[in-house]
Parts: sequence; structure tokens; C-alpha cells
Amino acid sequence: MSNAIEIEGLTKTYEDLVAVDSLTMNVEKNRFVGFLGPNGAGKSTTIKMLTNLSNATAGKAYLNGIDVVTDPKNALSDLGTVVETPEFYPYLTPNETLAYLGELHGMTDRDIKRRTTEVLDTVKMSEWASKRIGKFSKGMKQRVAIAQAILHEPSIVILDEPTSGLDPRGIFEVREVLLGLKDDGYTIFMSSHMLNDVQEMCDEVALMNRGQLLKSGPVDELIASANMRRLEVRTAREITETQLNRVAQLNAVSDFESFGPRDFVLSLIGGDEAQANLLEDMRGIGLKVVNFKESGDSLESLYMSLIKDSR
Amino acid sequence: MSRSTYVLPSNASQIRIVMKYDFMKYLRNKRLAGMSAIVTLVLLLITALPPLLGNSYTDDANEFVNTYTSFVGVLIIIGATLFAGDAIVSEFQNRTGYLLFPKPVKKWVLLAGKFLASMGAMLLVLVLYYGVALLLGLAITGSFSVLGVESLLLAIMYATAAISVGFLISSVMKGTTGAQILTFALFLFIFNIITGIMTISDVEPWFIITYSSGAISYITQDPYPVTVTATGDGPMVMSSYVPDIDVAIAVMLAYALISLVLAHYFFRRREMSA
Repeated sequence: MSNAIEIEGLTKTYEDLVAVDSLTMNVEKNRFVGFLGPNGAGKSTTIKMLTNLSNATAGKAYLNGIDVVTDPKNALSDLGTVVETPEFYPYLTPNETLAYLGELHGMTDRDIKRRTTEVLDTVKMSEWASKRIGKFSKGMKQRVAIAQAILHEPSIVILDEPTSGLDPRGIFEVREVLLGLKDDGYTIFMSSHMLNDVQEMCDEVALMNRGQLLKSGPVDELIASANMRRLEVRTAREITETQLNRVAQLNAVSDFESFGPRDFVLSLIGGDEAQANLLEDMRGIGLKVVNFKESGDSLESLYMSLIKDSR
Repeated sequence: MSRSTYVLPSNASQIRIVMKYDFMKYLRNKRLAGMSAIVTLVLLLITALPPLLGNSYTDDANEFVNTYTSFVGVLIIIGATLFAGDAIVSEFQNRTGYLLFPKPVKKWVLLAGKFLASMGAMLLVLVLYYGVALLLGLAITGSFSVLGVESLLLAIMYATAAISVGFLISSVMKGTTGAQILTFALFLFIFNIITGIMTISDVEPWFIITYSSGAISYITQDPYPVTVTATGDGPMVMSSYVPDIDVAIAVMLAYALISLVLAHYFFRRREMSA
């Protein structure tokens, strides 16, 4: 089995609610896959089933070919996780926490010492190694959480919104750590709402809504196949309400949003030809366009379009 | 990236690891220290009050230890509340389960490790209490109470049952406070209320664990007391029940076994929720 993660018909139901509906997808080894979807799409439930935090109603999930449901001990041995924002035992220090979790993985004292130094250095928590975690900030805990996920050098790391609740600096630091893991060849499966980060870091994305997989594949291919681009527009003069309405109603335009009296962004369905036509149409409406450029939010456009279609 | 090369420890080794770090919790969050302080206070009161009130100590070692065994039940209830009431539920409520449950450890291994840590803490408390009582008995009466040691063994069985029930409650309750209050109230009030009502109705409450725990103190009496039934002039019949030792042991073991099996069942099915 060449896939790091294989999911076959995975289903989770809560009474009348189908949280995950026969989900089938694979994550290849050494790939960084972003797992996207709105709140309630089923991402966290899927991740919980993959990490033994929740029991599947039906279906199978394999980590490196080992069934998580029937053989969780061996399946989880080569896995590192950060799910939600985990809390730590407040009476333990990062050193002790990593020793505890390392021992459970079968690491020797020597290995634990070596790896603890390495991973705490990676997440920039070395100077806090001997302080009890009880009073750590959320960002510090999140960094220790990432450290424990990679302590035992697993081949697969599953992360559920690892930057959730962090301040901009914390987000930046976590992003740096993740890029480092990517360079080191980890297989990473990460749910996130940070679409720009996903577009920047991930090799592939999987989009989910209402418990079902909408689309998955390499980021560039998906964006290209969606035949959609995000455009930022600025005009020389203030735009009237009528003009705005006419732009929003143009055939190739979707997800129109204005920012102030002279700026708006829109998603355009089509390629270069459609973009050139749009510019002409806007001139026809009477807009004096001074800025007309493609923004880097292509994944966001694709995401919004797919989510809208699946409602 | 190659697959992690560490060899997973056996279940027994993982039980030892979980036990070690859970026991550390009781040491560092001062529960064990608090419990030891309570034990010390009880020992001081029982030992110091009689001479202060002008009473002399008995010269019979078993009778001397009997005074101390009367309070063991309450100490075990407090211990079960502190060391078992929140052992499982805290992993869910405090969200530490997000850290621990995705590790390659079976749920029954976690349960066993935590249970042994709780038992270890409780054993320390009981050994401290009985150790001091037995040594005081030896120093004051000049003889050693063998029945006191038998009482300790019964106390350990009762503690095992009480901690098991605490684990069961902890595996089904949603909050740590509720689990601890229920554990405490169940043993201190609910079981005793049932025992009282059944006794008044002239039915021996042999299957109630707190009734069985009476054997911890009765066993230090020589000979072991028996149930006495008194009839008056009218139809009224009053019985003073004394638990049979063998039945009491069987009841304690049954509570421990059934509670642990159920605790594992509920713990294994329980899921982390947001």
C-alpha cells in the first residue's frame, strides 16, 4: 500500500445527523495535504476517527496500511497528532510530558533526551523545557503540542486547525514549523480555515462539505480546472450603486464584494479572454479602472464556488 | 521520511508508564499530601483525646486498634473521591484526552495504569494509618494486634471496591466535580440510607458495600460479633446485623470486578467531543 492514509467509505452518524458520509480518499506518502471545508463539514470528525478519538459508524481507515479501527495500537504507532487545541497535564513540564509520551511510544531515555532537545528547539520552546505547563499561553501550548506530535519521528502527522486561536506571530511560527516538517518529508494531513496558508504550503487539497468530499487533488491543478480567478479592482472615481449592481450581474462574475467607495474584489469564471472582456464591460458601465489585478486568493475562489454549489 | 523505528512497549510496560505519571499527579497536585494531613489529624485526635478526657487506654491490642478501624471507612471514601472520582472524566473535561488517546495505547491499558496509580495512593494512606495505629498499639499495650493486620487487608479490599466504583462513575459522568460529589455522596449517604431503611424493615443489606465494610472494624473484635435479633412484647422485631466475613469479601470483590468491567466498557465507547 503506497498511501500513508487510506479512507474507505468512512461514515459517522449522530442520531439523525450524518457528520461524515461514506468518505473515500487517500493521502500519498510524503505529501502535504490541506483538508478544507466550512465549520460542520465533517473535517474534525474525520480526523477524530483517524486518530482514535471517535469511533466510526461504518467504513475503514488505514494508516500506513494498518486499520485504525481493528488495530489502533499499531496503526497509531507511526502517527503524530495535534487535534483541536489539546491541553496538557499542568503538573508536568514539557520535558516530562515528552518523556511520558515518548515512553508510551517505546523510546529509550537516551532517544527521549535527544529528541526532546531537538523538537523543543524546533518549536522554540527550549527555554521553557523545565517549567510546568499549567501557566503556559495557548500559543506556547500549541507549540508543545506540535513538538509532541513529531517527538517519535512519525511518518504521518495529522493536524486539526493547528493555528486556531493563535496571534499573528504564533501563526507565523507554526507555519514556519510546518514548512520545516514538509521539507523533512513528513506526510502531513492538515485541516485549516487559513486558505492562503494552505495554498502556499500544501501540495494537495481535499475539499469537504456536508460530510462529503467535493474535490481533491494538487492545488495548482484544482485551481486551473476550476477556470476561475480572483480579481482586485480600483477605480479613479467613486462607484455608484447602479454601477456596482451592473458589475455584480455580469455573466462571468461571482462572489462580488466591495471594499470602500472605489475598491471591490470579484471572482471571474474563465481565462484571459474572459478577463479582457470584463475590463471592456466595466469601461462600458462607465468605470474608470486604475487597478485591475489577479489576487493570490485563487483557492479561496475555488473554495467559495464549490461550497456554494454544494449547499 | 522513514517509518518510526521505536518498538512499542508491551501492554504491561505501558500500564507501568501510565501508573507512574498518574501517581505523579497525586504527588504534585497535593492530593496525597492533603490526604496524609487528614490521616495525621484523625490519628492525633483518636490518640490524644482519651487521656485528655481522663480516660486510660485499654491494655488489649485488638481493642486498642478497634478504635482506629472505626474511622477507616470514611478515610477510604475520601480517598476514593480524591484518587478515583475524576481519574477518567478529567481526560475528557480538561481536554488532555486529545493528547493521550491518539497514542498507541489501548483504553484498558490506560484504565489499568490509572487504577493502579489510584490504588497506590490509597495504599500509602492506609499503610500510614494502620502502621501508626498498630505501632501505637504495640507501644501502649505491649502486644501486636494480628487482627489489626486482617482489618488492613479488608480495608484494602474495600478501598479496591470503592476506587473501582469511583472509576465507573468517572467513566460516565461529564464533569469532574459532579463525578467526585457523586462518588462521595454514594458511599457516605446513599448506600447508608439504603442500609438503614433495609435494617428497619428487618432485611439484612448484605449486598450493600458500605454494610460489608463494617467487617473492617468488627474483625478486630474477638470473638467476631454475630447478628442479634431482639423481639419485644409486641410484633416488633429489631435486628442488629453484622456482615458475614466471607459474604463481605465476596461483595467487595464483586463491586470491584463489576465496576471495573463497566468502567472499561463506558470508557472505550466514550468519545472526545468539542
